[in-house]
Amino acid sequence: MGKGFFAGRIAAEKQPVIIEKVDHTNVLNPILRERGLYSLLGVPLLISGTVTGVLHVGTLTPRRFTDNDVRLLQIVADRVAFATQSRRAEIERTAATVLQRSLLPAQLPVVSGLEMAARYVPAEHGGVGGDWYDVFTLPSGWLCIVIGDVVGRGLIAADVMGRLHSALRAYALLGGDPTEVLGRLDQHVQHFDPETMATVVLAMFEPSLERLHLSSAGHPPPVLALPDHPAALLDMPSDPPIGVRGGLRRRATTITLPPGALLCFYTDGLVERRGSSLDVGLERLCASVMAGPVDSVCAKVMAQLVGHDPPGDDVALLAVRRQDSGEIGPFDLVKPALPWSLRDIRLEVRRWLSMVGAAPRTVADLLIAVGEASTNAVEHAYGPDGGTVTVHMELQPPNVLATVRDTGRWRPPHGVGRGRGILFMRNCSDDLRIDHGQSGTTVVIRRHLTEQASR
Amino acid sequence: MTARVETRAEDGAMHIAVSGEIDLANAAAVEDQIREALSHSPETVSVDLTDLTYMDSAGIRILFTLAYRLKPLRIMLRLIVPLDSPTRRLIELSGFESLASLQPQSQ
Repeated sequence: MGKGFFAGRIAAEKQPVIIEKVDHTNVLNPILRERGLYSLLGVPLLISGTVTGVLHVGTLTPRRFTDNDVRLLQIVADRVAFATQSRRAEIERTAATVLQRSLLPAQLPVVSGLEMAARYVPAEHGGVGGDWYDVFTLPSGWLCIVIGDVVGRGLIAADVMGRLHSALRAYALLGGDPTEVLGRLDQHVQHFDPETMATVVLAMFEPSLERLHLSSAGHPPPVLALPDHPAALLDMPSDPPIGVRGGLRRRATTITLPPGALLCFYTDGLVERRGSSLDVGLERLCASVMAGPVDSVCAKVMAQLVGHDPPGDDVALLAVRRQDSGEIGPFDLVKPALPWSLRDIRLEVRRWLSMVGAAPRTVADLLIAVGEASTNAVEHAYGPDGGTVTVHMELQPPNVLATVRDTGRWRPPHGVGRGRGILFMRNCSDDLRIDHGQSGTTVVIRRHLTEQASR
Repeated sequence: MTARVETRAEDGAMHIAVSGEIDLANAAAVEDQIREALSHSPETVSVDLTDLTYMDSAGIRILFTLAYRLKPLRIMLRLIVPLDSPTRRLIELSGFESLASLQPQSQ
C-alpha cells in the first residue's frame, strides 16, 4: 500500500478515505484506474486496532459518498475482518495441532522393566501450546525421559517446541549427564532462538534402571511415589529455564528408583488453576499419584486435576513405573541379522537379567552364550538377502531359559578357530541344545539364575 | 565403534590397551588397529584387557591370530587380564595360555 495514495492513506490513518475523482495522483493501483472508476470509498479492516487490509467500493460515474455509505461499508469491513481473523486462527490452530501430533510419540518405546503411560490435552482456547514429552533410548543403553514447556502458544510455540525436541535428542546422543545435555540445549537456544524460553526436566535412566539422574531447567519437579508411601514432589534443585542468559552451573540429582516405584512428570497446565495457588494444585497432584499401574495413575490424575472441562493451558502428563521383579514377563527381541545388532541384543539381555535378579556371573555367562548364538545367526544363517535373529528370555525358576532363533540354514563355519563359539556357549550354560531344523536353527540355553555353571 | 585401542611404544616394547567391547561388528577394526601398532617390529608385545567389558569368540580370534603371527617371529606376547575381569574366563576356556603368558596386571 503506497504511502499517500488511496489504500496507503487508509492503512496509515486507520480512517475511511473518499476520492471523488480518481487519477494517477491519488490512486496507485492501475487495475482500479484501468477499470474506469470515477469515485472511490475505502475503509480499513481492523482487528484490535491493527489494519489487516482495506475494503473499498467504487463507481463508474461521479458519486458523492455520504456518511451513511461510510458507516455501512465500515460495518461490512468489520465483519470481513472478523471472519478472516477466525479463519486464519483456525488454520494456525490446525497447523499447530498437526505439528504437535507429529512430534509427541505416538507410542512410547517398550523397555523391559519399565511401564509407561502419557496423556496430552490441548488448551480450551488457542489450541495447542508448546508442551512436549519424549522418551528415547541411547546407543549406550541409557533411557532419556523429557518433559518440557515452551513459553507461548499456538503455531509459533509448537514450531519452537519441534526444534527443541530434535535438538535435545541430538545433544543427548553426544553423551554426558543431564546437566551437560541441557547446557548444550541452552547454548543452542541462546544462539539460534534468542527470543525463546522453555522449561525442561531431563531424566536419564542408567541401563540397569537402578538409578536415575535428573536436571531441571525451571520446570516443576516430578512427583515420586515409593511403594506403600504417600507421593511427594521430588526434592531436587531447579536451575534457570532454557534461554535465560547468564553463566550458570546446572545441577543434577541422582535418585534410586526401587522396583515398584513410580515417577510422574507433568507440565504446569496440570497444576495451575486460575483463582487457586500453585501449592494447592501440587498438593492435589501428590494426593492423586500412587505407586500403581501407570494407566490408572494417569486416569486418576486427569480426572482429579483436569476433569471434563478442557484446561486453560495445555497439559502433558507422563508416568513411569519400575516393575517389580515378579512382574517381569518373558522378553522377546527381533533384530536384523547384522553385526551391529549384537550390541543391542546384549544391552537388552543385560537389562532383563538385572530385572529378574540374575547373579553377575550368570549375566556374564548368558551374555556370552546368547552373544555367540546370535553371532552364529548373523554370520552363518543367511545369504546376501539377510534375515532376522530372535531372542526370547524367560524365567523358569531357578533357571533362565534363553532361546536364540533364526530362519536360515547355518552354513558350516569356515576358517581357523571358527568353531570356538559353540565351545563357549556350552561352557557358559548348564544345558545347551542346538536344533538345526528345516525352517531354521534354534539354540536353547539353560542357566541357573545365581549358581555357577555346572561345567 | 564400541572398542578403543590405545598403543604406546617403549624401547622395544609395544603396549596395547583395548577397552570397551569386542564383537563381530568391530572385531575387524580392532584387529586392524592392533596390526598397525606392530608395524614397528617390537621385541615384546603386551595386550592389556583390563578395561575390556565384553568379548566373545570374535575377540578371542583376534588374540589367537596375533599369537600365531608373533610366535614364528619370536616376539614375546603377554596378555594382561585381571582375575575378576569379565573376559578372563573366556580366555582360560580358549586355552590361550598355551600360546602366551597371562598376567593379572601390568608390571
